[in-house]
This record gives sequence, C-alpha cells and structure tokens, in this order.
Amino acid sequence: MGKKRTLRYIIAFAMLLLGIGVFLVLNVCVGSVKISIGDILSSLSGSANDKTIDTIIRNIRLPRTVAVFILGGALALSGYLLQTFFHNPIAGPFVLGISSGAKMCVALAMVFLLSKSLKASSITLIAAAFVGAMICMGFVLLMTRRIDSMAMLIVCGVMIGYICSAITELVVTFASDADIVNLHNWSRGSFSGMTWDNVKVMAVVISITFILVFLLSKPLDAYNLGESFAKGMGVNVKAIRVFTVLLSSLLSACIVAFAGPISFVGIAAPHLIKKLFNTSKPIILIPASFLGGSLFCLFCDLLARNLFAPTELNISTVTAVFGAPVVIFILLNKKERGNS
Amino acid sequence: MEGFIKTDKLTIGYNGRPLIKDIDIEIKKGEIITIIGPNGVGKSTLLKSIARQTDVIGGSIFIDDKELSKMSGNELSKKIAVLFTDRIKGEMMSCFDVVATGRYPYTGYFGILSKSDRETVENTMKLVKVEELKDRDFKKISDGQRQRIMLARALCQEPEIVLLDEPATFLDIRHKLEFLSILEKMKEERKLTVIMSVHELDIARKISDRILCLKGDKIDRFGTPEEVFEEEYICELFDVKEDINAYAKERNISLF
Repeated sequence: MGKKRTLRYIIAFAMLLLGIGVFLVLNVCVGSVKISIGDILSSLSGSANDKTIDTIIRNIRLPRTVAVFILGGALALSGYLLQTFFHNPIAGPFVLGISSGAKMCVALAMVFLLSKSLKASSITLIAAAFVGAMICMGFVLLMTRRIDSMAMLIVCGVMIGYICSAITELVVTFASDADIVNLHNWSRGSFSGMTWDNVKVMAVVISITFILVFLLSKPLDAYNLGESFAKGMGVNVKAIRVFTVLLSSLLSACIVAFAGPISFVGIAAPHLIKKLFNTSKPIILIPASFLGGSLFCLFCDLLARNLFAPTELNISTVTAVFGAPVVIFILLNKKERGNS
Repeated sequence: MEGFIKTDKLTIGYNGRPLIKDIDIEIKKGEIITIIGPNGVGKSTLLKSIARQTDVIGGSIFIDDKELSKMSGNELSKKIAVLFTDRIKGEMMSCFDVVATGRYPYTGYFGILSKSDRETVENTMKLVKVEELKDRDFKKISDGQRQRIMLARALCQEPEIVLLDEPATFLDIRHKLEFLSILEKMKEERKLTVIMSVHELDIARKISDRILCLKGDKIDRFGTPEEVFEEEYICELFDVKEDINAYAKERNISLF
C-alpha cells in the first residue's frame, strides 16, 4: 500500500506541475495580441526583434502570469489553513469575511493616502490588509465561542463580509473621481496591472509564509484529528491555533492587497486536491494545495481575460462559476463525512 | 515501584468550579484501576486532569515522581495515552493512518514514519486483531471497529499509562471481552498501568486491581473489589433506593 500511495502522489504532483507549465505558457501566449512560444523564448533570451511584443511579454503578460501563480497558490493555502483550523471543509478567506475585512482596510488606506496625494506602497497595502484580516478573524473567533455548527459559522462570516463591503462601497462612493476607476476594479478582484515590483514583494512575503506553514505540517497533522487528540500527543494546541490564524490572515492579506478579494478558490482548490491525492497529510496537502490553487487561478484568469475580449471579466466571476458548485457538492456530501 | 502515579491534595473541576476535592491517591505501576460512580460525578474530568487536558484547580499530580504540569508535551505523550469519547475529525484517513498517529511523539520533525514505526503500527494492529481493517476508510467502519482502532492507536504510542473513558460502551460482548483481554495482556507483558471509567460494574469487579468510587465531591472509597463490592455500599454509592433494588431482585438482575 505504501508504494501504491507514493506512486499516486508522484503522478498527482506531476499532473499538477504539467498543468501549471501548460497554463503558464498559455497565459502568456493567448490574448488580444497573439504571441508564439518562439517570441517568449527570444524575449527571455534577450534577442527579441519586435520591441512591442517584447514589451508586452516582459511588462504585462509575464508579471501578471507569475502573480497569478503566486497569489492563486496563496489563496488555496490560506483556505486550507482555515479549513484545518475550523475543522470545516467550507471555511475560506472569502466566506468567512476575512477577504472583505482586508479589502475594507486597504480601501480606507488607499483613499486616505490618495487624499494626501501619496502613493501607497505594496508593503503599506499588505499591512493595511493584514490589519483588516485580523479584525475580521477576531470577530469570527469571538463567534465560534457561541456557535458550533459549520453552516452558522459561514453565515456569520458572510454577514461580516457584507458589513465590510458596505463600508468599502461607502468609501469608494465618496472618493474623488480620479481614484474611483482604479479602486473600483480592484475592489472586485482582478489580476490586471501587476508590475514586477509587486511580484517581487508578493514572492518574498508568500514564500516565507509558505515555508513557515510547511514547517508546521507535523503539528497540523495532529491538530487535524481534533484538539483533544493533538493535546494527547503533546502538541501545544494554543500555539498552533495562533500560528494558523496569523499565517492564514497574512496570506489572505497579501492576496487582497494585490488582487482584491477572490472568491471560492480557497475552498474549491484544497477540496479538489484532497480528492485527487486522497489523503489528509498536511505534508502532502500544503504544497499540493498551493499548486492546485495556482493551476485553478491560471485557468480562471485565462478565461477572464479572453472569454469576452476585449472586455475583461472580474476574476471572481470566473472563479465563482467553477468554485461555487464545489461548495454545493461539499454541503450535499456532508452526511458522508459525519458531523465535522 | 510504589506510587507510580501520585496526587497531592488534588482538586479538579470545570471552569474554576470544583467537582472533586482533596484527592490523595497512589497508583502502582501495572495496576488496573476502574473509576465508578453516578453520572456527572466527575469521572471524565478526573481522567482528563490526569491526561493534562483540563487544568486542575488545586494540588498536583506526580507521575514517576515528576510533576505533571512540569513535563514537556512530548515527554507526557510518551508516558500517557488516552482513549476518550471525542471523535476523530480527520478525513480521508485509512485505519492504518489513524493508528499511525500514535507514533507522533516518536517521529522526526516532519512526522514521517520510519520502517520501525510502520512495524510497530502493524504489530499493534495484529495485537488488537484489526489488521484486516488496515486499508479501510476510518469513517466507514462500525462503532465497535472504530473503538478497537482507537485502542490500537493508544497502544501504538507505547505508553506506560493508558486512560480510557467508558471504552467498552459501544462494543458487543465478544469485542468487549477481547478488548479487556488485551488490556490485561498489556498489563502482564509491559506492566501497563490502566485507569478507566466504566459503567458495567460486573466488568469493574472482575478485572480491576482496585476500584475508585466517586460520590458527591470526594473519593468515597478506593480499594480492592472485595472491599468495594458489597451490596449495601453499591446501593448507597449509586443511590439505588430500596424499591428499585427490590425490583432488581424480583427480576434477578444483579447489580454487579
């Protein structure tokens, strides 16, 4: 059985990597300007003939594609952590209102800084988003003391999300006209307008977070069974809970700061990955969820850009179409998985 | 090895509200202790306190002359394994996976099972006679099978003490006997100390070395089966009134 399983893991990982490879190339190639693989290669090797195409590859398509890869993975990982934390397969940064909280604080920070005609740096935005994420996480945690049911938790999260969205709308409504366009696009979730500077910051923040999460895989494995079991195995449950909250909030914050709130990836990707790998081992699921989220987002972003080109769809429009059915499916299958 | 587990003026309870006060007991290595008493008296709380899953209100617990509250989590988990009534929440785990979680205190930083860990898991599953369940999904087996898997999990931790909270409740008679025989075997072979709460007084009477009786807010009696199982005392402990006892006699239902 051990060997059979290892083989399954290897095949599944290979499939994920292959899919990501294919979509990385597709995301750069397909668009209003068609680009061939030859163009990419010559652009990367610095021997491009056509300056326009070179610029499109280097400054628009490539940073965006890399950003989608990183943020998509972060989104799935953040969802995975929240699902582990709440022992709830439909927990995620979006449904728990954490994304919306981050969005609210980023909008406030943006409008405030713009009114002083300062440009917000990536780090400032991440910090603002983190504050917002932590505030909403705090509310959610307060509520978990009173409610036990998985559906109620989600309902409360969605309500928190609506409150935060309302405040964001209010801020956007009263922001000066020039800022609105940007703010509006961003507040609905979009990967457009990524620069290499953005990519650098997110790569650093998210890879550090990823490593920290990966280092927690053994205690998370114990925590998965339930708190009493984790305690019985000598795990410091309180510390694990604090770390999980901080890391998942940081991941959500990073995504929101750059791409706005994106729905359902955080639930759908880890769930599909669990089915694919048929395991509950965090040491497998942490990297696999990351890759799964990346693949899912690359696919959705490709559709968002090209389906109704030149009009670009919000990324959440696409992720919801593919992600929401997964959530419904999980709820319908609730019986099978007992009360958890 | 006198006083392998010792308590000193121990007071236990929930949320700062004491349930049982001034517990001063000593338990020897390799003893089987059962805890009996009416519902809600604090049997589970006592077990949880010894497992360090509930904060004690006052006093202290010593295991092998070391204070429980000063032990590291890892040290504790190599000494004590528990089988409580909490359900496992993990998904997509085979029974092997569940038993293997018992190796947690022994595995390295990333929790990967070594070859000897795998052997321990397999041997324990054989001992508990559940090796044929190895590849089955843990969520899709019967309650009785689940309980045996959980016992295998606890034993796989290679503890010196096992704490069990009403372990036999879901088992049919054959599996109940099998379960108890494994505990006795482990007691003989590995000097395993067993502390468990039970409702079945006949079982408590037959397999315990000593019985801990909880009543009100104190330990009422702590002694051998002969010392505890007197009809008058059991009726008093469980508040079995005369008319009910008369009914039991009429129907020939023995109390223990």
